[in-house]
Amino acid sequence: MQAYKRTDITKDQVVPIAEKMRKAGVYLTMIHGFLNEEGQMDVSWDYQVEPVIESYHVVGEMTLPSISDIYDCAAAWPEREINELFGVEFEGLDTSKRLFLPEEMLETQGKGQIMVMPLSELRANVIKEG
Amino acid sequence: MSYIIPIGPYHPALEEPIHAKLYTEGEIIRDAEVFVGYNHRGIEKLATERNAIQTLVLVERVCGICSHSHALTYAMCVEQLNGIEVPKRGEYIRVITAELERLHSHFLWLGVACHIIGHDSMFMHIWDERELVMDLLEELTGNRVNYAMVTIGGSRRDIDEDMKARLLKAVDKLKGPMDRIVEIALNDKTIALRTKGVGVLTKDDAMRLGAIGPHARASGVNIDVRRDSPYCSYDDFKFDVPVVDSGDVFARVVVRALECYESIKIIEQALNNLPATPINLGNKLPKIQKGVALCRHEAPRGQLSHMVVGSGGFNNHRISVHVPSYKNTPTIPFMLRNNSVADAGLIIASIDPCFSCTDR
Repeated sequence: MQAYKRTDITKDQVVPIAEKMRKAGVYLTMIHGFLNEEGQMDVSWDYQVEPVIESYHVVGEMTLPSISDIYDCAAAWPEREINELFGVEFEGLDTSKRLFLPEEMLETQGKGQIMVMPLSELRANVIKEG
Repeated sequence: MSYIIPIGPYHPALEEPIHAKLYTEGEIIRDAEVFVGYNHRGIEKLATERNAIQTLVLVERVCGICSHSHALTYAMCVEQLNGIEVPKRGEYIRVITAELERLHSHFLWLGVACHIIGHDSMFMHIWDERELVMDLLEELTGNRVNYAMVTIGGSRRDIDEDMKARLLKAVDKLKGPMDRIVEIALNDKTIALRTKGVGVLTKDDAMRLGAIGPHARASGVNIDVRRDSPYCSYDDFKFDVPVVDSGDVFARVVVRALECYESIKIIEQALNNLPATPINLGNKLPKIQKGVALCRHEAPRGQLSHMVVGSGGFNNHRISVHVPSYKNTPTIPFMLRNNSVADAGLIIASIDPCFSCTDR
């Protein structure tokens, strides 16, 4: 079974950790984001310190520093994705173009999490409306 | 004269939809941009309304080529969260399926690369051999595309003595054609002229940009999850990780061709040493325990990672799928620079992209 080590950090520690990892030649596996059960944003930076994944989590912050100047596209793409899907601002990240979503989508919705109706409700509405 | 040449999202030189803008001076590409998102299906969102067994079916549909990889990596996450230990035989069968999947994926890519180069006789020869691998997968799993071999806690179908003998014989039969394919790939003048020195990605760029899989190994980066962070009993098998330094399209051909031999080695070892344990732990629907799990698998195109967040119920609270093409696609502009427009299709294809995976 692969090992996964979680460490909770503050947002001030994000850049120093990224710099240390990059200097040591460690791969950035991914930057993940999700809303936890309390509705708080949980963003994790997962590094491959083989054979372990070291996962650094910042919880409850909607503005975070970007590490795209350290890890280039390896960080910029997931940061853009999290920005599009959850509205997290990454300071220093170029968000002038969309990654996955149509250009006009965020303009109409406004910045922030894109609210998607739970599918069960959507299905119920469709059934009700015939 | 400077031009901006748009390619895609739908273009004969592309296998799947991606939009590339090439900034050229005459025939030479000076810079490029790539745009994805034409296949975004919201699979991660759909998964939040499904239980673990339903999600296995769903994540297999992320990609038609590496469907087993997705189901395997997702299952590993749920097993990690629930502390489930998979019986050895189940793990070995997972490995056999994964390596057959790698063989068919690499054969597919080698064929496509030859087709783009204009070497169509080689393309047909390689795809003819690929059919043998597809037949093996069909015999083993009952399916040619979405194999449905993985369940939480093991594999779904066993390999009996008859099938084992047939698989070993068929895999052995592959070696002769593979020798011919590799010899042509390494020595043919047409392939060399179209691929050597084309679309170079340096080792430093590969590491900085996060390139992975055969694409990174063709740039001299020695990484492979099967060896660096073993799972599914991969540490029971002896195999080499081919690494080439030149970083061009030719290196990507060489790495993938040599990896086919390693896959055959692993399949033979797994079949010859199948442990006498059950293949799974039964058909109980598991709750997904509270917590976060992240597992990785060396899919044919490189490291695939799934993150699963459980909340203690039957459904996923969140899954996040990150595929090799997501990591390798941003390297395309760096490889295109200072190459000819005529090579753009080949260079884009050389990462073995899967935009269906990338977009999810």
